[in-house]
Amino acid sequence: MSEAALLPRSPLAGLLRPVGGRGAAGVTVAERGSLRIAGLVARAGGAVLADIVRAAYGVDLPTSPRRTEADGLEFIWAGPAQWIVLAEPGADDLAATLRGRFGMLAAVTEQDDARVVLRIAGPRVRDALAKGVPIDLHPRAFGPGDVALTLAGHVPVHLWQVDDGPAYDIAVARSLAGSFCHWLRDSAGEYGMAVEG
Amino acid sequence: MNVAGRIVAREANGRSSAATLPTQPFRLAAGGLVDRSRTLAFTFDGKRYAGHPGDTLAAALLANGVRLVGRSFKYHRPRGILSAGVEEPNALAELRSGARREPNTRMTTAELYDGLQAASQNRFPSLAFDLRAVNSLLSPLLVTGFYYKTFMWPSSFWEKVYEPLIRRAAGLGRAATGADPDHYEKSTTFCDLLVIGAGPAGLAAALAAGRSGARVIVCEEDFLLGGRALADRRRVEGRPAASWVTEAEAELESLPEVRIFRRTAVFGAYDGGTYAALERVADHLPVPPAHQPRQRLWRIVAQRAVLAAGAIERPLVFGGNDRPGVMLAGAVRSYLNRFGVAPGSRAAVFSNNDDAVRTVADLAAAGVPVSAYIDPRPQIPAAVRQVAERAGARVLTGAVVQRAVGWEKLLYVRVANDTGQEFVVNCDLLAISGGWSPTVHLTSHAGGRPQWREDIAAFVPGTPPPGMTVIGAAAGDLALADGLAAGARAGAQAARDCGFSVADAPVPFADAESTVIAPLWRVRNATGKAFVDFQNDVTATDIRIAEQEGFRSVEHLKRYTTLGMATDQGKTANINGLALMAEYTARSIAETGTTRFRPPTTSVAIAAFAGQHRGREFRPTRLPPTHAWAQELGADFVETGEWLRAQQFSRPGEPDWLATVSREVNAVRNGVGFCDVSTLGKIDIQGADAAEFLDRVYANLFSTLPVGRARYGLMLREDGLVMDDGTTSRLGETHYAMTTTTANAARVLQHLALCREWLWPSLDVQIVPVTEQWAQLSIAGPKARAVLQAIVDPAFDLSNQAFPFMAAGAGTVCGGVAARLFRISFSGELAYELAVPARFGDALARRLMQVGNDFGITPYGTEALGVMRIEKGHPAGPELNGQTTAGDIGLGRLLSKKKDFIGRAMAARPGLTDPNRPTLVGLRPLDRAARLRAGAHFLPRDAAATAANDQGHMTSVAFSPTLGHWIGLGLLARGPQRLGEVVRAHDPVRDGDVLVEVTSPVFVDPQGVRLHV
Repeated sequence: MSEAALLPRSPLAGLLRPVGGRGAAGVTVAERGSLRIAGLVARAGGAVLADIVRAAYGVDLPTSPRRTEADGLEFIWAGPAQWIVLAEPGADDLAATLRGRFGMLAAVTEQDDARVVLRIAGPRVRDALAKGVPIDLHPRAFGPGDVALTLAGHVPVHLWQVDDGPAYDIAVARSLAGSFCHWLRDSAGEYGMAVEG
Repeated sequence: MNVAGRIVAREANGRSSAATLPTQPFRLAAGGLVDRSRTLAFTFDGKRYAGHPGDTLAAALLANGVRLVGRSFKYHRPRGILSAGVEEPNALAELRSGARREPNTRMTTAELYDGLQAASQNRFPSLAFDLRAVNSLLSPLLVTGFYYKTFMWPSSFWEKVYEPLIRRAAGLGRAATGADPDHYEKSTTFCDLLVIGAGPAGLAAALAAGRSGARVIVCEEDFLLGGRALADRRRVEGRPAASWVTEAEAELESLPEVRIFRRTAVFGAYDGGTYAALERVADHLPVPPAHQPRQRLWRIVAQRAVLAAGAIERPLVFGGNDRPGVMLAGAVRSYLNRFGVAPGSRAAVFSNNDDAVRTVADLAAAGVPVSAYIDPRPQIPAAVRQVAERAGARVLTGAVVQRAVGWEKLLYVRVANDTGQEFVVNCDLLAISGGWSPTVHLTSHAGGRPQWREDIAAFVPGTPPPGMTVIGAAAGDLALADGLAAGARAGAQAARDCGFSVADAPVPFADAESTVIAPLWRVRNATGKAFVDFQNDVTATDIRIAEQEGFRSVEHLKRYTTLGMATDQGKTANINGLALMAEYTARSIAETGTTRFRPPTTSVAIAAFAGQHRGREFRPTRLPPTHAWAQELGADFVETGEWLRAQQFSRPGEPDWLATVSREVNAVRNGVGFCDVSTLGKIDIQGADAAEFLDRVYANLFSTLPVGRARYGLMLREDGLVMDDGTTSRLGETHYAMTTTTANAARVLQHLALCREWLWPSLDVQIVPVTEQWAQLSIAGPKARAVLQAIVDPAFDLSNQAFPFMAAGAGTVCGGVAARLFRISFSGELAYELAVPARFGDALARRLMQVGNDFGITPYGTEALGVMRIEKGHPAGPELNGQTTAGDIGLGRLLSKKKDFIGRAMAARPGLTDPNRPTLVGLRPLDRAARLRAGAHFLPRDAAATAANDQGHMTSVAFSPTLGHWIGLGLLARGPQRLGEVVRAHDPVRDGDVLVEVTSPVFVDPQGVRLHV
């Protein structure tokens, strides 16, 4: 016999704290909590999967490090013939939905709990990220919709630019959330970091 | 004489203490780029002085008339300030105090701040009275290579006697003993053009490229842009050069894609246009502001680079050339023109080139009388003579300084000319110039060899790293006008190379000048010590000795004499040194060559390389889903790879860890316990060929595994040795869930990816790591089912019939939480592994504590886990050590004969199937009270402890609370055939010998009855 359902715990609990800086924060951070996340790996090269996605959502699955959005879903390139798919909190079981839609065309895995996704923005966000993300985020080199699998400090991250703000989403393995937040506080402290949401 | 003693009253800056500060007797009445409206107080060796913002420590000390600033490394000779820049060999200080104390800081680059504390180095008991200066008299004993000659024998003396002695007597500053309290960081940035050095040439390049819209980074080591334009009274585009610099800086600041990094030294050039630079963010402040780093290490990735690092003036080599008061001619101009300081009250200038005569003019203009201009050239250009004479200096041509006389300060110099006349020239400042050496270091980092140019008596860059252009003085073009033109050209070209269109713009022009030089590498007939390397006390005589003793290659010269091996890396010494070696060996300088320059070009604190990755943050830490809960319980934690896992959960009153671990083991064996095993690698494998794929990567069969069942799997490497093990469950016809050991999770994933992508791309199989998705708890013990029953939702039938040993299934727990359940056991008890989405892991642990309370549920850590697996004889890390075969660990029967698999062929090699190989057994001490030690080697009972008698070793040991004594696992030659035999477990490092009995590795429940209840 069982009792009431279990309470979820975010790996970021107690870790996102404002740091430094009087006045306007140079960096803002918010957890995109409770997202539905699924991993998607195309079978047999993925040509048919791409057709199904185009038919179902009207978008092309990115074949380069890009992100595309449709129908409340975000398809984010994660490697050759691999993507992660994001849906807002409250959506139906995303993995089940995708399995239903793609059948044997793709291997779908639940990843809802495997990563935490943070939205990091603000006028000094590029300066803060430069302290650990070794890729060129200058607007001439990396813009909205661009995706990278890279590092933040020594922590592997999956990063994409959301808008020209600029705002970035950074997905981090759940177990590394603490190390990532330590790096972020260290790196953004100089500019002042505010926590939203 | 209008400098010394002329005191200009200044207003204090509001600090009450400033009013009582000593005046600055050598500060000129006007001029310079210091902020005279503010006064800064600082101390040197405890004495208070005043300076101004914009001063370096060296400039401020000179303004206060301080000439003696340090003692030399070997002879403890009094030393003064030689230069005005990074090349300084003498004027090194310890800055700050306590944990922030920083030794060997160059006073010539240390920016003055209010409250700066500086101390001289390498003196005892005081700077003015140094007992070790007697070394100078002992110098015949302290000859070249004296370390090698003197401290050779007996070798046992080296560590105990010689090294401590040398370390106390020699060495310069003292490192701080406390942990550095400041924060350091590393940053990466990108640009189209990196300009290294913001002198006139660098600024011209930055302007030309920046105006096109290119992304430009300008790195300047100094806190002001301008380079020599700040030090020399020159004109650019008809304006004073310093004004032109100000305008250029303002324009660069206005360009949105141009960034100026001040206080930033580029110290290394690497492949792919990558440069390393150190930004001294807060070195000029007493303490870094909150959240600001003290220093920042930059990795700059540039499509193009312009090296405009300028040149370094060389000293001349004559007797007593290290006396305080002997200073580079260009440095004298820096102090006069940039800092408004007179570095002496009566000067002479000794130079072999046309450039240095400007020092005569500048001294005279500042009101410092110049006694003589001394030039070894028999004939000098009329213009040079005219400048000197107009300044009131006596011009001595064909003349050299043979000796500078004085001790703590210069009193006079002895001069001789080519007609045999001798002169005494009174002066307390001798400005010297042996010509300029282009700063070529960065051009060598990719392997380029500097080229000797006889016409300018200097090494110029050979082949610079790809994408780098060298301009201005760094390229050997010493004239200002040439540098400006080259800068404008190089900047424009770099921008075009990066795809920008560059509008034609006029090249900034400057007044003409002569830089003609006649090399003078040493003064013949000099008397007294003539120094080549000031910081390491290497003299011209030392180089002669090195030559005589056969150390003639520049690389040998360097190591034998220590020439160029001090903290300044011989920036003022190397060229003179190798030129002397060329002379002594009758070779040309080009033939003699230079030593190889390697990064870093300037000293960089280790803290800057570490950046944020110090202490606990040295590398990332992975935390399992129950970490917060375990912390609340007061668990001890242990690092296993990147993970931090609960090691044991001690309770108040428990005397030691062994008591805690034994309690946890007993609880599992007799009741129920649980443990977070989320760290084990979890890999999702899907596809029509998933079963085939697993058959190929595992030594045993998986295609025959029914859906809903788990199986132990053994994976070999291609070479036939064991790679990893774990249980893999079949969740569906084409869907498996693999587990790996914690330690090998990443390696196995890589291995599987290689197999899929490279070996068998035609297989339809998808491999996705899902370790992070699931919180997985092992619930073990005779009462495990009862506890589990309390949390699974009704649809789960946990009965032994419905869910037997090695069953695997999915369902829900705690009212609808998705879960996977596996009936697998590492402890040997009735056990389940329950996986829930990781967000629920914390709550699941808490719920188990609640519902298991009546059963005495006990959380256990990795120690108890380890004890129980040893009691059951399960191999783990110490046995899966990369050197063992399946047979070695007792799993030879798993090697399938029905199929091919990775490692099959190589596992059949004779060496791997040798029946004498050490093989897994259990061991127990004959004396049951004896403790066993992992690592002990097995010897036949009566055999001598020699390597020839070695028969294997003890891999894992534990105190078994179930049996009440220590037990061990080991790899023993022909072990399984020797059950019951007694052997020695020999541990010469710790407790010596223990006699042990060879047993089956399974100590508890050998029939496996408990697994199946």
